[in-house]
Amino acid sequence: MNRSKSKCYVLCQLAGTLSVIVAGMISHMDVVLTAPITFNTALPVAKGEFVLREQLIVNQSGDDPSGANRDRSEIAAVTAMGYGIARRWAVFGVLPYRTIDLDLDSGGQRINRSNSGIGDLTVLARNTAHQKDQTGQTFRIAPFVGVKAPTGKDNASDSLGTLPSSVQVASGSWDLFGGVVLTYQTLDFQIDSQLSYRFNNEANGVEAGDIARLDGSLQYRLWHSEGMGIPDFLYGVIEANLIHQDKNKVAGVEDPDSNGTRLFLSPGIQYVTKRWIAEAVIQLPITQNLNGSALENDYISRISVRFNL
Amino acid sequence: MKKLHYMLFVLILLMPLTPANAEPLSYALQVEGLACPFCAYGIEKKLSSIEGVEDIEVDVKQGEIIVTMAEGATMSEELAREKVKDAGFSLRSMAQRGGSEQ
Repeated sequence: MNRSKSKCYVLCQLAGTLSVIVAGMISHMDVVLTAPITFNTALPVAKGEFVLREQLIVNQSGDDPSGANRDRSEIAAVTAMGYGIARRWAVFGVLPYRTIDLDLDSGGQRINRSNSGIGDLTVLARNTAHQKDQTGQTFRIAPFVGVKAPTGKDNASDSLGTLPSSVQVASGSWDLFGGVVLTYQTLDFQIDSQLSYRFNNEANGVEAGDIARLDGSLQYRLWHSEGMGIPDFLYGVIEANLIHQDKNKVAGVEDPDSNGTRLFLSPGIQYVTKRWIAEAVIQLPITQNLNGSALENDYISRISVRFNL
Repeated sequence: MKKLHYMLFVLILLMPLTPANAEPLSYALQVEGLACPFCAYGIEKKLSSIEGVEDIEVDVKQGEIIVTMAEGATMSEELAREKVKDAGFSLRSMAQRGGSEQ
């Protein structure tokens, strides 16, 4: 590798590790039956039945304190399916198709690294551990566990060499996660809250930091249709996502300019019918307490449809 | 002739109602835990899988589900409870409406 390519390689690797947290935004948490839009719910999937969700996610990061003027954008189409395997058990599979672009200054030039493809498969199981039902309302507690498997391609390259980890569509690692979600639903509103933790493992010399999350959601019914049959509901949604990610490790050494803590406030809207749901949300970073010169998020937008099959 | 008309009139009065005019058998299920339309679909599908179920009407606000049966078909409370549980909800009560169980 000549000197200019070598310099770019170093900078791009730096950009890669600094941006790994951004990749973490496309996470296992966004499963199909999410009554919240950005995380899970404890509401049931009927035994023997399927639910499907397609979600389009735009993740933009461009506030760069490092001086490399990094700009990273990702568009992901995420397919998630849930199945009720028993009364209190549901399983979910999540598979993304990702398109990533990273632009940065290097050696007086503007460099672009880009990539697209199918990402890693995530599967999880959720159990309804506690359920208290009354007329027109329910309260549930549902723990869940899952794994992200290294099914996607994690060693893509371009004319400059192997792409940095933040531009790879897959991580190459087996990552376990777990948590618990609480849901309280009435005819007028719904509150969900989730606590989760993900253990990220090493692959290709890079170990992304573990991720701890606390999420909350309020969905308030603004309108419902009148007339015969099951009515349609329109919800106004406000969610909050507190996400902490430990520093990444590259070749076993902690990267001081990676990750940190972010708090998002996420307003949205949701139209709910018997057979389908249409929804949209934008996640706005309220505060970002990041390590060193880690790349900051501008916003994450999500639009999705869900179906009872 | 007058006598014939009179006899016909009496016969018509004494004729019993035919089964086709009888109100169909239905059940009113009181379900708990149901508070959104998307969840109601699961209950509809589970109850529809019961043999003899012809129609289902869900009132999400009241938590009431009216299950109408085909002629000659019935549904036990035990079976209804199983199906509501399979959908992820709870059956509080079940009452018969109209028709007659055989």
